[in-house]
Amino acid sequence: MGTNSGATAGINNKPVGGATGAGVLVGGGVGGANSSIGGVLSNSLGGGGSGGLSISGLNAGGQNANVGGMGNVGGDDGGNGMVGGGVNNQQATTPQYTIPGILHFIQHEWSRFELERSQWDVDRAELQARIAMLLGERKCLESLKSDLTRRIKMLEYALRQERAKFYRLKYGTDPPQLNEFKPSNEDAGLAGEVATDSEVPYSSVSNTTWRQGRQMLRQYLAEIGYTDNIIDVRSNRVRSILGLNNNAEHDGSGGGLGGGLGGGTGGENLSPNINGNESNKRASETEGRHTPAKKVQQSIDEIIVDTEAAVMANFEFLGATEMSDDDEISDDLEMVATDNDDTDVKLAKRAKSGKDMLTEEVDGSLGLGELAQLTVNNESDGAYDANSKDGTGGSAGGAGYRKTWNAKYTLRSHFDGVRSLIFHPEEPVLITASEDHTLKLWNLQKTVQAKKSASLDVEPLYTFRAHTGPVLCLGMSSSGETCYSGGLDGNIECWQLPSPNIDPYDCYDPNVHSGTLEGHTDAVWGLTTMQSNIVSCSADGTVKLWSPYNKEPLLRTYTASEAEGVPSSVDFVRNEVDHIVVAYNSAHCIVYDTETGKQVVRLEAAQEMSGNTGKFINKVVSHPTLPITITAHEDRHIRFWDNTSGTLVHSMVAHLEPVTSLAVDAHGLYLLSGSHDCSIRLWNLDNKTCVQEITAHRKKFDESIFDVAFHATKPYIASAGADGLAKVFV
Amino acid sequence: MKMADGSTILRRNRPGTKSKDFCRWPDEPLEEMDSTLAVQQYIQQLIKRDPSNVELILTMPEAQDEGVWKYEHLRQFCMELNGLAVRLQKECSPSTCTQMTATDQWIFLCAAHKTPKECPAIDYTRHTLDGAACLLNSNKYFPSRVSIKESSVTKLGSVCRRVYRIFSHAYFHHRRIFDEFEAETYLCHRFTHFVTKYNLMSKENLIVPINVGENAAPGESEA
Repeated sequence: MGTNSGATAGINNKPVGGATGAGVLVGGGVGGANSSIGGVLSNSLGGGGSGGLSISGLNAGGQNANVGGMGNVGGDDGGNGMVGGGVNNQQATTPQYTIPGILHFIQHEWSRFELERSQWDVDRAELQARIAMLLGERKCLESLKSDLTRRIKMLEYALRQERAKFYRLKYGTDPPQLNEFKPSNEDAGLAGEVATDSEVPYSSVSNTTWRQGRQMLRQYLAEIGYTDNIIDVRSNRVRSILGLNNNAEHDGSGGGLGGGLGGGTGGENLSPNINGNESNKRASETEGRHTPAKKVQQSIDEIIVDTEAAVMANFEFLGATEMSDDDEISDDLEMVATDNDDTDVKLAKRAKSGKDMLTEEVDGSLGLGELAQLTVNNESDGAYDANSKDGTGGSAGGAGYRKTWNAKYTLRSHFDGVRSLIFHPEEPVLITASEDHTLKLWNLQKTVQAKKSASLDVEPLYTFRAHTGPVLCLGMSSSGETCYSGGLDGNIECWQLPSPNIDPYDCYDPNVHSGTLEGHTDAVWGLTTMQSNIVSCSADGTVKLWSPYNKEPLLRTYTASEAEGVPSSVDFVRNEVDHIVVAYNSAHCIVYDTETGKQVVRLEAAQEMSGNTGKFINKVVSHPTLPITITAHEDRHIRFWDNTSGTLVHSMVAHLEPVTSLAVDAHGLYLLSGSHDCSIRLWNLDNKTCVQEITAHRKKFDESIFDVAFHATKPYIASAGADGLAKVFV
Repeated sequence: MKMADGSTILRRNRPGTKSKDFCRWPDEPLEEMDSTLAVQQYIQQLIKRDPSNVELILTMPEAQDEGVWKYEHLRQFCMELNGLAVRLQKECSPSTCTQMTATDQWIFLCAAHKTPKECPAIDYTRHTLDGAACLLNSNKYFPSRVSIKESSVTKLGSVCRRVYRIFSHAYFHHRRIFDEFEAETYLCHRFTHFVTKYNLMSKENLIVPINVGENAAPGESEA
């Protein structure tokens, strides 16, 4: 009996010992747990952060633990210590206690150990998952940084080439030595001008030389063949990494940069450098999508330590605006240069970063000193892109750095559900329309002092009052000067937007309300603008085209057959002038030619027509660039239609409850949907996958979210809900 | 449009709903409302059913938190007062009504500004409603709609006093608008009952005689 129990105790301990041996980081925690419960507690606390991780990860971790334990039988001091202690205990107590008592005690102890062990397993699995996650994150940063470094080197190389060429053209001889190149006035001039305009400033230097050089580099990169996607992703990354603070850079991703400097010293993502014959595809795979690392890569740790100094040095030269570090850099550049001469695909990665630089930055920033402007440029022309792109970094070939949208502003001032909202095309300004009969104007830059919570409250700047019933829909002119609202009262009101800096308690200016479009005899449910025209749809069964400031504003009325029922939503077909698409109660959409008033195409799917009662269309939107119409349905689906053939392209269950609202971003890459299930979802239009889901609003009766919107030029999205709130996410 | 979909009733105003069908769905008992906005839903349901039945609308259900009940009613009042403001905008201009007055006894100063200001009546109306909207939606004073802090409940009284002046101005200076509006909504009637019932305003401030349509004799408001 005694041996038996001893054996069981040993077995109990071994896996624990094994666990300590296998998990490097976990080791300390488990060791502590051997002697005290406090250790277990601290473990579970530590693992709490990663509670959201998938269960499969936990299981896998648990299995690993067991296997490791078997492999390391008796290999752990802690385990042995425990066994020894147990034996001693036994001997000491033999004279005083009966055998059954001892057995009972041992059994008790055994079960206790068993319990603790399983707890440790769970904790360890959690921590391992967390390690994997953190490793993954770190790898992202590493690859980011290495890309950035390469990009800088390419820039430098290009600059050097250009300078050499310039020198040759100017003096007719080869430049004596690179080091003799001083940053001339031109460079200083460039630095100033580049930020504002990428093309113009070169006219003062020597247009042809620059152009030739650029052309050459472009050709070279075209040979390698990279798509614009990658460029966007890269620009985002550069932006994000430059936005990072120094601490994060040093802590998180020293290894990547070091790897880049040293010509590929470590890390999975640098493998193309190590393995010369790695294929191009593989290169993009490894960096395109980081899979959560399953094992600790100690080598990376070491490399980080080794290269940290080098990294630091490198960053110093990045920060410096003069070229005093030429010597050092030239070494790197020579390396790059030789690589460039060699057109093997193995250098794809390096070239890839070069391509980014060329196509979007070479125009502007050929000097390293303009690194700062690199960020500026990116921010000015790509801020929005960056954010939306980052949303699907993984699928777009990014390094898994995902931008997630977070609620930042809460717009509370409506007394009842917010039916619609619309952003100003340029300013961080939006207008909401509510069932409380009012519209309100909000400036996101005018926030109330920050509360405890992370989100900011905004107070409305102006309240538009003219509707005598709930306001249901909104439209805004492309200039952002005029706004239109349709209400349950059947009127469309036209508004001149007050200044976004108006005092909320200014005097009443009757001119803000610049007119009423009367013509609909029932609730106006849909309204959208295109240039100076607006189109509206109403419960009276008609769709009307208006030119608001004409003497006779109503241009045309479109009425469908009785069978189609009432129009529920309307949009201009964005890629086809003079076409509008109208959704009807019958769950069909009809595309009209606004000039002739004739039906152009009818969007319907034969196979789906049986029992279309639940397919009621809540919202129809047109893709901004493609001939695609997207519809939001009562049956929880979002459907995609081909405008030319009228056929169903794609259909997907998008929400748990009816989809009420849709918005496509200005570039046509992302779709935002809102539903009565209280959530908004962001979709990648490319592969129709959900990128993010946010629970945003509460229910009132059986309604929740009425509208969603993208800002056309700034990284904002917004949702409007039946709970009287509007929320803006950044 | 009635949303009778099989056995479950979905209370939704889908796009394309005719205005006469807006919110026209079978009443939902308060006990069955599981939303945080149940009280608002309940009040709106009662008003929709019969706006003239002021007593019923103001009858607080059992086990209802009185603070929330008062708060939600006041929200509803401010919301419906927008309707009166829209009508006043057409007629009440800074040139005709330079000051916010009801009887000649008082000039009301607009409290929306850092230092109370003698705003024209229409500005006073708009500022007061905007200010009330901000206060009643303030995350600081009214962070929740299911429970109201005692300290915040005291704010309701001052909001009542201010918005009541809109009724009184309309009554004494734009009687036609007031009467039309009142005939449709019974809002002043309901409001007077409300503030009296919950003792949010002193009786001598209630200068608009209610039951204007029925009792020709203008007198003090009834209890």
